Amino acid sequence: MPADGPVLDVAGLNAAYGEAKVLFGIDLCVAPRQIVACIGRNGAGKTTLLRCICGFVKPLSGVVRSHGSDLIGLAPYDVAKSGVKYVPQDKKVFYDLTVRENLELGSYASGDRNWEPALNYFPKLKVHMDRKAGYMSGGERQMLMIARALLGNPRLLLIDEPTEGLAPGIVSHLREVFTDIARKTSLVIVEQNLPLVCAIADVVYAIRDGRVAAMFSQRSEMSFQTFEKFL
Amino acid sequence: MSLDPRLVMSSVIFGLSIGGIYFLLAIGLSLCFGLMRIISLDQLLYYSIGAFVTYSVGVATGQFWLGVAAGAAAGGLASLAVERLIFRRIYARDPTFSMITSFGLLFGGIGIIKFVWGVVPRPVEVPTLAQFDVLGTQIPVYRLIIVGIAVVVYALIWAFLHRTIVGKAIRAAIENVEHVEGLGINVGRLFTLTFVIAGALSGLAGGVYAPLILVDPMMGLEMLAFVFMVVIIGGLGSIKGTAISALIIGQVVSLGSLIYAPAAQMAPFVIMLAILLIRPTGLFGVALTRR
Repeated sequence: MPADGPVLDVAGLNAAYGEAKVLFGIDLCVAPRQIVACIGRNGAGKTTLLRCICGFVKPLSGVVRSHGSDLIGLAPYDVAKSGVKYVPQDKKVFYDLTVRENLELGSYASGDRNWEPALNYFPKLKVHMDRKAGYMSGGERQMLMIARALLGNPRLLLIDEPTEGLAPGIVSHLREVFTDIARKTSLVIVEQNLPLVCAIADVVYAIRDGRVAAMFSQRSEMSFQTFEKFL
Repeated sequence: MSLDPRLVMSSVIFGLSIGGIYFLLAIGLSLCFGLMRIISLDQLLYYSIGAFVTYSVGVATGQFWLGVAAGAAAGGLASLAVERLIFRRIYARDPTFSMITSFGLLFGGIGIIKFVWGVVPRPVEVPTLAQFDVLGTQIPVYRLIIVGIAVVVYALIWAFLHRTIVGKAIRAAIENVEHVEGLGINVGRLFTLTFVIAGALSGLAGGVYAPLILVDPMMGLEMLAFVFMVVIIGGLGSIKGTAISALIIGQVVSLGSLIYAPAAQMAPFVIMLAILLIRPTGLFGVALTRR
């Protein structure tokens, strides 16, 4: 796989659920080690955008490339194997499996048995390794989902609403973790927590009605007040 | 009314062995629904194929157990072909679509069996006529062998699902297919593997049960209602539930015949209705939504 080009290059992406068109010509670019945030109201198309990128929704037209390789048409498991992993919003770990088993599945496809880097982000998981994941709190489940996705050293993580419903302490921990992860892995985060977005994002895309309404890449442009009007 | 303890003992063993057959047949149906959300009534076709292949190989070689192994293999191969050619195309459809499709497959398959083996029921020789005495009752050893096979299969399936990474992926996919795919795992292969295991177990059930019945093309249909009840009572997707449910239905059929024969056919339905009234998802099932 060629290593040149952006980690993610989305151009003119159109998508629909049946007759209902959701995305209208979305363009988005992610550079190596960059944190890109997508903000917007519920129903704006942010989740659909992530699901198109990782192959769960087949777009009507457009381009999705990672390091120059076309991702459109690949099965979701092939997209994941290519190094683009998705952490959905629902915080649904595999409830009947232990934390260890959840992680084993995370490293199954890649064969990556070195869990230490991922577990070092979330030391709490180490003490719950043999606990059924269904018994964990929402924050712990989110940690497990991110740790699971990190196995295999993906080059891009797509994370949907990671802080939704989490306690402030966990949110601030995730903020540090995302900054650390971005030293190796690019991140696209769909997020409504604007203070978090202002703190960690390198680029912010405001999505409105399935279109990119604005793009911010300068620190000076990024403020709660600026972003608030897109929510 | 007093019951002869020897008859009760004999009925309990009979119930255990028929329960073992129900389990071997129902576990495949249950896993197929749990993982792929399909109602695979064609498992009863693989059951019949398993029995006929056991018969043919047994006649040709004189080796009953070789016949059973061939029957299980034939069930697995037939299910592989059906999964590749048909079910792969309809996984995304509503479960009722798969039920109708599999029902059609079952009848089509019965026609093929009639064409190949004819309509005359075939006897299969019991591999051992040995009996042993329990509390004054002569218990056929072969019935206990069937119970033993069901126990071993349960243990192997449990170990496969809990101790191997592929089994864990299947358990995870029963919960959420999309999340498993998102981890880079090809769920389509898990579907195929599960379907083949189910078909092979159905073939095995047909093979081991063949000596206790006459092998005939309609034998699968005769099991349909009971196997369906076992799956529903146990809870879709639960191997523990399927095992316990098979045990219950086996005993209800067997002891029911002893206590009041006319009720034996009806009693399992009553049990199913009673359990579903209390637990609509079955004993160990969880609410499964359509994907």
